[in-house]
Amino acid sequence: MASAMEQQGEKPAAGAEDCGEVRDEPQAAGESIEDRIRLLLRLRAQTKQQLLEYKSMIDASEEKTPEQIMQEKQIEVKIEDLENEIEDVKSSFEVKSLALNRMKLSAALTNNIEKMGTESSVLTDDMKHIIKLHKLIMKSQEESSELEEKLLGIRKKRLQLKQTSRSKLLEIQTEKSKQKKDLDNMENSEVIKTMQKKLQMEIKITTVIQHVFQGLILGSKTNWAEDSALREIVLQLEKDLTTI
Amino acid sequence: MSVLRPMDKLPDLNRATVLLVGTQDALLQKLAESMLQEQCASELRVHLANSLPLPSNVNRPRIDLIVFVINLHSQYSLRNVEECLSHVDSSFFLGKVCFLATGAGRESHCSVHQNTVIKLAHTYRSPLLFCDLEVESFRVTMAQRLVRMLQICAGHVPGISAVNLLSLLRRSDSPPSKEL
Repeated sequence: MASAMEQQGEKPAAGAEDCGEVRDEPQAAGESIEDRIRLLLRLRAQTKQQLLEYKSMIDASEEKTPEQIMQEKQIEVKIEDLENEIEDVKSSFEVKSLALNRMKLSAALTNNIEKMGTESSVLTDDMKHIIKLHKLIMKSQEESSELEEKLLGIRKKRLQLKQTSRSKLLEIQTEKSKQKKDLDNMENSEVIKTMQKKLQMEIKITTVIQHVFQGLILGSKTNWAEDSALREIVLQLEKDLTTI
Repeated sequence: MSVLRPMDKLPDLNRATVLLVGTQDALLQKLAESMLQEQCASELRVHLANSLPLPSNVNRPRIDLIVFVINLHSQYSLRNVEECLSHVDSSFFLGKVCFLATGAGRESHCSVHQNTVIKLAHTYRSPLLFCDLEVESFRVTMAQRLVRMLQICAGHVPGISAVNLLSLLRRSDSPPSKEL
């Protein structure tokens, strides 16, 4: 173990620090390897601990307290406000300078016109021409806007028509499908089937009756061809009822 | 270097440095010698100073622990320590400062009341130790204690940091206060 002591005097007589005494105990010459390893291990633990302390110190100094964060936020808000103000002032200044320039220009123009005289000056002619052109432009613009409005109206109408036709078509389709469904239902229903059976039966019965009547008329051996009413009846009896 | 900061230098390998601040040179010298005689795995260095700030022209290792020695027999030592405290960075008070009130054995000679010292130590949230450095056995015990504290402050005891030393602030006769 090496220990050293040094004295720091703040006394006016001693002035600065002066080294009092330094004692160095000579290390044992025969220090074994185990001791050295132990020393190294201890040193490692020490360094780790010291590193931890420094790390925590750095973390603590990096962390911000809520008050600091609040202050920073306030400052940011203020900066934003001030920037907005600066922008407002800039824009108003530009607008004012533009107005001033226009006024200067108009004043200069009037001065020039007065100097050059009213008649036959190139400037006035030019200005008149410009005004004429402007009027033309305005007129054509109005016309074009009217045309555009008309076009718009037509397009609107077309759109409406399209919509109505579409709805009508849809209605028709639904109607058709409804009818189809009804028909299917009718064909499949029991009532229809029984009615058809009955009809078949009736048809058979009537054919039999017809044949009976024919037989009767033929059996009576009357000349049915001469009597018109009888002929009609016989011919009627020849009809095939299934074709009706 | 007007203000003493704890972490502004890198630590030396296996070396712990303590700064004893007090007005009585002889007492500090004796205490330093007792500390150096202690069996300790780390290399100890003891710096003595009458007052702070320390002169800036000297190359000095990292100071791990500051011990303010207050002699209860003299008002001057108390005033001196109070003046010195303004030259210590606030992060030092996270366990790396300790007050040592000597002369507590002979109460009849005391010119500084114990409560004053207790209040001072409480204001700076640092542990306060009472002892009598004039007596050999007391001094040896105190040196042992200081060496142990110094090892912790220098980071030579794995798992324990100087902040843990603030548990010395707890008084046995009073319930632990909430702020600790």
